[in-house]
Amino acid sequence: MRTLGWLYMAAIFIFIFLPVIVLVLFSFQDSRLPVPPFDGPTLKWYVQVLSDRGMMAALRNSLAVATISAAIALLLGFFAAQGLARVRLPGSVLMRGLLIAPMTVSYLIIALGLLTVFNTLGFRPSLWTTGIGHVVINLPLCFAILFAAMGDHQKNAERAARDLGASDMQVLFLVTAPMLKPALLAAFFLSVTFSWDEFIIAFLLTRFDVTLPVEIWSMLRSGLSPATNAIGSLVFLVSIAILILLELTVFRKSKT
Amino acid sequence: MTANVSLHAVSHHFGAFQALDDINLEFAAGEFVVLLGPSGCGKSTLLFILGGFLTPTRGEVLIGGKDMSRVAAKDRPTTTMFQDYALFPHMTLRDNVAFGLRMRGQGKALRNTKADEMLDLVGLVDKAGRKPHELSGGQRQRVALARALAVEPEVLLLDEPLGALDLKLRRQMQEELKAIQRKVGTTFVHVTHDQEEAMAIADRIAVMNHGKVEHAGSPEEVYLRPKTLFSANFMGDLNMIPDNVMGRAAGANMVYAARPENVGPSGEISLGDATLEEASFFGTYHRCHFRAGDGTVYVAHLPVGELPEKGQMVPLFAAHPMTLRAGA
Repeated sequence: MRTLGWLYMAAIFIFIFLPVIVLVLFSFQDSRLPVPPFDGPTLKWYVQVLSDRGMMAALRNSLAVATISAAIALLLGFFAAQGLARVRLPGSVLMRGLLIAPMTVSYLIIALGLLTVFNTLGFRPSLWTTGIGHVVINLPLCFAILFAAMGDHQKNAERAARDLGASDMQVLFLVTAPMLKPALLAAFFLSVTFSWDEFIIAFLLTRFDVTLPVEIWSMLRSGLSPATNAIGSLVFLVSIAILILLELTVFRKSKT
Repeated sequence: MTANVSLHAVSHHFGAFQALDDINLEFAAGEFVVLLGPSGCGKSTLLFILGGFLTPTRGEVLIGGKDMSRVAAKDRPTTTMFQDYALFPHMTLRDNVAFGLRMRGQGKALRNTKADEMLDLVGLVDKAGRKPHELSGGQRQRVALARALAVEPEVLLLDEPLGALDLKLRRQMQEELKAIQRKVGTTFVHVTHDQEEAMAIADRIAVMNHGKVEHAGSPEEVYLRPKTLFSANFMGDLNMIPDNVMGRAAGANMVYAARPENVGPSGEISLGDATLEEASFFGTYHRCHFRAGDGTVYVAHLPVGELPEKGQMVPLFAAHPMTLRAGA
């Protein structure tokens, strides 16, 4: 029974990670196609990718869009969650529902909607419109994470702070935000990774300056190459790095 | 700092529910006041009104002679020690205690000195650099006390602060609370449902029930000369004495009663012969159940060593009968 359990676990991990392992492995392929048999290793594809100006520009764009849109989504989500958790408003259940609703809508629909809106308003597709799109998809996530993290414990500490003479702003920045630090970090880093990986919205809402997933897609159109594996491996590396950072900062602290 | 507190005709409604009904109370400056009553009697609501967390539907609250009805919690000369302590988990004990002073714009060196002084008062100065989660329940409670006292409030409000502690620690903290109150001289208003706790610490007890004050007075008054059946019952065990045993009618809506320690083999009122049915030993007295000829059961606390045989019939007497108003 025990062996079976271990076998099952191994199978699951292989199922999940095999594609990634293959991707990374064939990024070191020393021939023109990323297919077996493996002959290598070589770093030439990495050299090619890292010296590709368009690719590097797209990488910088992606980082900028991810961090800025995540920061905005976090700020808006924090204020919305704080407001709805603390003040009894008529229709607050409905408002909560409306805030979370975009999570259930496919990115394609959101992208089409935004495209229509921006066209009507006369905004050209750009990194800014993509950033706005990413705020739209990440705001519900940030709101949901932060709203769930605000308990009675927090409410009581805020009341105590007010009792000791703190103004609303002081309560927010000296008590509420520090107490929510793990949730704030989790929401921020999740938003960054979602924005970092997002393709459809970025594809429909960018034109000249593009984000990394869009750049990779246009590269794929000219056929498979170990270079796409190399860039894929780099993207994966960044995601893993964010995950490890999250693990070290948020989850280690919340244990104490 | 200390101030007197006056409540004039204070009423409060939560929707259709009347939480407080025409409360009139006067607390002198420097008094240790206990609001005592069962859960749902309105005692916590009254405390929150004093603290400024609730605005009463009607009536006025005066602290130090000044009307506080329209003053927000943060601007009142009151601080509250909350039931769950509500410490700031991300701050050290020193920063927790200094928080109120920081909000008043006091410089870091000055407020840290004061915070250490307060932590010293509650015996935790050696842990000033720790975080709240490293402390036990009793220690957290002391930090909450130090934090509330650091800003030198005129009135300190305590919302069932000892409720989460085990019995022994609770008794110990009661003594400490009282000692600290004597030292700082601040008016304390303490909410509890534990009558022993109330008697142990209060200068004045206000017994509350259904949003009304049943009786307010010194612990001796509310225990020995209660006005109503409810407050007499809440303060301790009670034997009802039928009118015919007393030989006269108590009056409309009035009853006679006696405390178990005033029932025994001697006294001015004869309860007739009664049989000892059950007895248990409480260390300093025997608690006995006697059944009288007419079927009435009396509870008596007899001195150690003066216990009759079980089943034996003895003449039973009562002393210091109380005349009580039997509820509305």
